[in-house]
Amino acid sequence: MRYVGQKLIQLVIVVVAVTFLTSMLLRLLPGDPAVFKAGPGATEEQLEEIREDLGLNDPIPVQYVKWLGDFLTGDWGISTQANTPIFDLIKDRLPVSILIMVYAQILALLIAIPLGILAAYRSGSLSDRAVNTAAFGMLSIPNYVIAVVFVLIFAIRLGWFPATSKYYNPFTDPVEHFQAFFLPVLTIAIGLAAGYTRLLRADMIGTLQNDFVTMARSKGMSTKRILFGHALRPSSFSLITAAAVNIGVLIGGTVIVEQTFQLSGMGYLTVFSIGVRDYEVVQAAVAIFALIFVLANFFVDLAYGWLDPRIRHARALA
Amino acid sequence: MQHSTRAVRRRPGLLLAAGLVSIGLLAAACGGDDDDDGGADTTAPATTAGGGTDTTTAGGTDTTSAPDTTAAPETPTPGGKLTMGIEAETGSPWRPAEATFAISGHMVAQSVYDPLMRGDDEGKVEPFLAESVEPNADYTVWTIKAREGVSFHDGTPFDGAAIKDNLDRHIASFLTGKVLRDVESVTVTDPMTVEVKMKRPWVPFNTYLAGTIGYMASPAWLAASDADETLKPKPVGTGPFVFKDYKPGESFSATKNPNYWLEGYPLLDEIEFRVYQDALTRKSALEAGDIDLMHTTNGETIAEYRESGQFPMVEITERGETGYTLLHVTQEGSPLTDSRVRCAMAYAYPNQDVIDEVGAGVNQIANGPFSPGQLGNVASNSYPLEPDMDKAKELVESWKADNPGVPLVVDLSTTQDQTNLVIAQIQQQAFKEAGFDDVKISQIEQAKYILTALQGSFQAFQWRNHGGADLDNQYIWWHSSSADPVGQLALNFGRIKDADIDRLLDENRGASDPARKKEIAEEVNEIFATQCYNLWGSYTTWGVPAQENVRGIGVMTMPSGNDAGFGVGIAGTFPVAGLWIQQ
Repeated sequence: MRYVGQKLIQLVIVVVAVTFLTSMLLRLLPGDPAVFKAGPGATEEQLEEIREDLGLNDPIPVQYVKWLGDFLTGDWGISTQANTPIFDLIKDRLPVSILIMVYAQILALLIAIPLGILAAYRSGSLSDRAVNTAAFGMLSIPNYVIAVVFVLIFAIRLGWFPATSKYYNPFTDPVEHFQAFFLPVLTIAIGLAAGYTRLLRADMIGTLQNDFVTMARSKGMSTKRILFGHALRPSSFSLITAAAVNIGVLIGGTVIVEQTFQLSGMGYLTVFSIGVRDYEVVQAAVAIFALIFVLANFFVDLAYGWLDPRIRHARALA
Repeated sequence: MQHSTRAVRRRPGLLLAAGLVSIGLLAAACGGDDDDDGGADTTAPATTAGGGTDTTTAGGTDTTSAPDTTAAPETPTPGGKLTMGIEAETGSPWRPAEATFAISGHMVAQSVYDPLMRGDDEGKVEPFLAESVEPNADYTVWTIKAREGVSFHDGTPFDGAAIKDNLDRHIASFLTGKVLRDVESVTVTDPMTVEVKMKRPWVPFNTYLAGTIGYMASPAWLAASDADETLKPKPVGTGPFVFKDYKPGESFSATKNPNYWLEGYPLLDEIEFRVYQDALTRKSALEAGDIDLMHTTNGETIAEYRESGQFPMVEITERGETGYTLLHVTQEGSPLTDSRVRCAMAYAYPNQDVIDEVGAGVNQIANGPFSPGQLGNVASNSYPLEPDMDKAKELVESWKADNPGVPLVVDLSTTQDQTNLVIAQIQQQAFKEAGFDDVKISQIEQAKYILTALQGSFQAFQWRNHGGADLDNQYIWWHSSSADPVGQLALNFGRIKDADIDRLLDENRGASDPARKKEIAEEVNEIFATQCYNLWGSYTTWGVPAQENVRGIGVMTMPSGNDAGFGVGIAGTFPVAGLWIQQ
């Protein structure tokens, strides 16, 4: 519990630092944020009113506290471009990005774990070399290229999936939901899976050389049980760490695939808002992305203890 | 019906700034007939049921999606939903006096709003939502009568008060107020009538009512959205469709207005506009069947569909905008204040090569601001259509002789679009070859682009503009009264201050004789040619490819019985009320 408490304190510090910088986004822009918000033709009185409304006349710490208070209470302001509450804009789009990230992560692990184990178990064999080569190839292709190729093949040539889509509720429109998400998710998952496969293979080869594996073999334990029941867990550290670190990659990936497939999530909204200088939306979106990243890493830190009793014990002794 | 082609490069995506450009001032226009590939191989235009507009063909095939007049007429089938891919974010806030509608914005706006006037298939405007729009004898008072029995989607009656409210908001608007500065007052003279009193005779005033200024929004909604800005993106008009949903930068959808005043319309139950800023993504969406139709100015796409016939495609080539390089001609210390330098650039610029290389040769080369179909368009004038590097060098040397020791340096501004950058690079190379000491290229993000133009903080600027039904629609862009100092916002972006142009624009505002109006427009054209105020590029061609079952693109019969024309205010738009799906 003490460890969790320490991690929570760290989490709060990081969140404060990130949100502080985010809240200063408007301040960091060249020019007067009020002019951006007001648009051309605004009078000085109107600009002053906007400055007051945005709190730009307050000291920076006061601005931050005000921003944080509004952020925590869901009062994120009104989008200049859409004239819509920013909270509503993000509420509609966040599920799309989260689903893309979750689906991509799951799909990548589903691909990587069996392939990584196979490659490790048959290390040096033809299948190992095939997996390695394929993984290396997939890592070498940027996801925006993969996305375009998928559109050409699966959407335009074969017509199996839409080239561009929109969000469908997975419970009410499961088929449309699957069609809309499959190509974007696969686009991101392929690159992730390639990296995961290589990591798991390397760790698993090391694990399979440990004494406890030899002992298990000597006891006549089945290969399947040894691999999945005993060797996989201790081989997963690099994989789990990579999965956590890749939250950032996933966020970047969603920005790209949402643009390519016109799937309106947080990435699409952020890029659009940057384009039209709707900086309050950008501010809120960046804060959300940062929170997702920080929280994901927090939970991964906690997961280490579950994965390895040695870490649990070390934490307890500390 | 249709055709297509194959090619895969991009074209001058001078998508640029059509935003402000359309600010609504521009009135009706557009119908089109066609032409293509730089004017080559055009076959006889086919007649579209809707308005005669139409299009082109290459290879002899007609590209109209409207029923071929040689085929048995099809009976429109009501019902269904169509999704149209559009090129840009559509234009929120949706209040006409505040919106900066680009072509996409007009497409969307016209699904919800009706203009008081609308362009017919000959490019002339006639009353649409208005019962009548009549001037007095000297054009100092225009009387607008509201059409009886029309209500806004929220039930508010459309009447004289509604017209006055909308016009008053435009007069007070930063964006459109300058266009209407010759309006002295708007008065409701009876429940269904308003009188617009002018400060001086204004003959083409009615043309403005076919664009943004003519879009009528519900006064009740306008008042409510004054108090609650979250209502602004939920427009309420009298149009064929009722607002349903708007997702910024993504989509706008509207459902059939069951009480639409124009009998027989709309035919669809629902229409959705989806934004695809990238031309190739929009194309992929059409090819994958994600959307039913789209509009595009991408030369490669238009050329491809012409050749392949993969999709029926309507093309709009008349009364459109002109793509050009806008020059700031009065900036203190700039070499561009000297016509020799500007004309040297015109002589050096290999315009046709750019059209061929970057736009698949689809667009027609421009020699002036007026596109085919517009008054003032001439087959030839003093503007050089062919590059003449010797002449360019001669002009540069002449300037240098008068300005010893002064480096001849010009800054070309463009967007971050790759195609536009390529055009700027071609210009850079040509101008350097003509003897310029340096030609810099500045890439400016799209969002800042319009502001940069408004402030006049540029030397040379890629742009697209000047569609319209009358020369008067250019008044705000060229008259010196719109040329505020650099740093202040002005719609005369290039800060042209030419006494002859001012005189001609003022005369045209009060001129009713068609022959004289033609002379005036052609005189203005010639001044632009001799002074090289801008570097003309090409006249924009719009393609509207659609799936095989889409009918009625641009087809609509107006209350007078005339066919509606393509392009109200700006080319590339067409009425959506007549769209239907062949079952």
